[in-house]
Amino acid sequence: MMMLSNRPRYQTFVFHLLAASIALVFGLPALWVLAASLRQPGTPPPRTIEWFPDPIAWGNYAQVFELIPLGRYLFNSLLLAALAVPLTVLIASWAAFAMAQLPPRVRYTLLALAVALRMVPITALWLTRFLVLKELHLIDTFAALLAPAWMGSSPFFVLIFYWSFRRIPPALIDSARLDGLGPLAIWARIAMPLARSATVAVSVLTFVQYWSDFINPLLYLKSESRYTISVGLRILQQLDATNWPLLMAGVVIMMLPIVLLFVIVQRAFLVEGKIAGVYGN
Amino acid sequence: MSHTRYQVSLYLLLAPFLIGVLLLVIVPAALSFGLAFTSYDGLTPPDWLGFANFRHIFADPLFRTAVLNSLIFVIVTVPMRTVIALGLALLLYRPRRGVGLYRAAVYLPTVVPGVAYALIWLWLLNPLYGPLNLILGGLGLPTLAWLVDPRTALLAIALTTLFQVGEGFVVLLAGLQEIPNDYYEAAALDGAGRFAFVRHITLPLLAPWLLLVVIRDLIVSAQNTFTPALLMTGGGPYYATLFVPLLIYQTAFDRFRFGEGAAMTTLVFIGVGLLILLTHRLFGGWGYDDAV
Repeated sequence: MMMLSNRPRYQTFVFHLLAASIALVFGLPALWVLAASLRQPGTPPPRTIEWFPDPIAWGNYAQVFELIPLGRYLFNSLLLAALAVPLTVLIASWAAFAMAQLPPRVRYTLLALAVALRMVPITALWLTRFLVLKELHLIDTFAALLAPAWMGSSPFFVLIFYWSFRRIPPALIDSARLDGLGPLAIWARIAMPLARSATVAVSVLTFVQYWSDFINPLLYLKSESRYTISVGLRILQQLDATNWPLLMAGVVIMMLPIVLLFVIVQRAFLVEGKIAGVYGN
Repeated sequence: MSHTRYQVSLYLLLAPFLIGVLLLVIVPAALSFGLAFTSYDGLTPPDWLGFANFRHIFADPLFRTAVLNSLIFVIVTVPMRTVIALGLALLLYRPRRGVGLYRAAVYLPTVVPGVAYALIWLWLLNPLYGPLNLILGGLGLPTLAWLVDPRTALLAIALTTLFQVGEGFVVLLAGLQEIPNDYYEAAALDGAGRFAFVRHITLPLLAPWLLLVVIRDLIVSAQNTFTPALLMTGGGPYYATLFVPLLIYQTAFDRFRFGEGAAMTTLVFIGVGLLILLTHRLFGGWGYDDAV
């Protein structure tokens, strides 16, 4: 009997040991990066893993802003994400709302389209998208970076809204239609208020997508005044590829908003079991 | 509002998305198929070349290297990433105390932006003072030159991708939570062991989700080599990390050979399509037959 009662406790111990070691492997490098970003530039690199640099060089963070126009790049990235999030939510949720309401045959065709779009290799579109944007005179404009928002940024976001809207009881929508409401009014007054977690999920993922975007600014921008933070880090690397403290300071600055955002919403994503609501069928 | 007017309004809501898809996916895809047979440099009007671009590409040793590197990369990373995502999901899907923190830690590297991630790994893998070699040296293990050595550079980049498995992890987590509790109780009554249980009940029920993850990963892995290759190695040393996306970028945007770039692009479409078909075959259908 002792054996039986001890077994779960032993299993719990093994679970935590295993899970904590894995979490350490996945999370530890973030702390090293932080430590590396605070090391005095120009001093010989450490011969062992360094946890607390001595002295702590807070000045590295100010120096990055002097070396490259990082403030400008951060502003551009923020502006881009701030424009992309509402545009994406609007276009993706409109498309998803229409998909959820249209007759089954149209709906299944559109679902198949969304799934097929997820399988298109995006690298195969760089070159000819460039030509299309050039034809529209959008090269070297913010509009070129925003272009993916016209298709809801990712077909996946349309699917997230679609799953959410399909769960709304049809009776609710039917009665609104009897009251004479059109699709836009039903979308605004009934569908969107019931799809809050989908809206949060899509907003967060969209912010991360545009904040992190490297390839579109690299391909479609020419003027330095429009560069975003990811291109800025690339410039920092090209200026001095061996100045690790400054490079890591740049990395921390770029990661900070995303990690903060992630900490704020991670409960909804990972803990409360809402993932099934977002990703499930 | 009449039924017809309601339907028309619905199509109006759908229109921006469809126009976006047309301009950003369908027109570019059709255009690259057309330009693949021409000599286009972005300035002079394209000339019809027939299959000359394709003949030139197939004869080009750099293209062959890039295709081989990309294939090796996909073959190495996709199974490992899938197994890691599955293992983590199996370990962390049950509600327990502290499980949220573990899930967050596992997901953390996935949200790190590509450029930042590449720079972090460039430092971690530094042969002289990178933390990875310091640890290996400290444990008395042999250290490697990682990205500097043509024999290990591709595998070093593959290694970096093994920690960004959050998407597959979350999808499989959702899949595992969909499995009804009855199955677990019935199996426990039958005295099924843990591994027998995973092998005979969990995995078959998870098959459609696994297929989803594998196919998505094939598409992602075939392309997400671009940022690490550009920032960490520039395709080197000695073309050891020259992948197809980097070669397309260099051909089209550095050398303005749009026709040749379009031909490579067309081959990427065909290649990814073949990979998806092959996976579909290996899984024996879409796996939805035994879905719950």
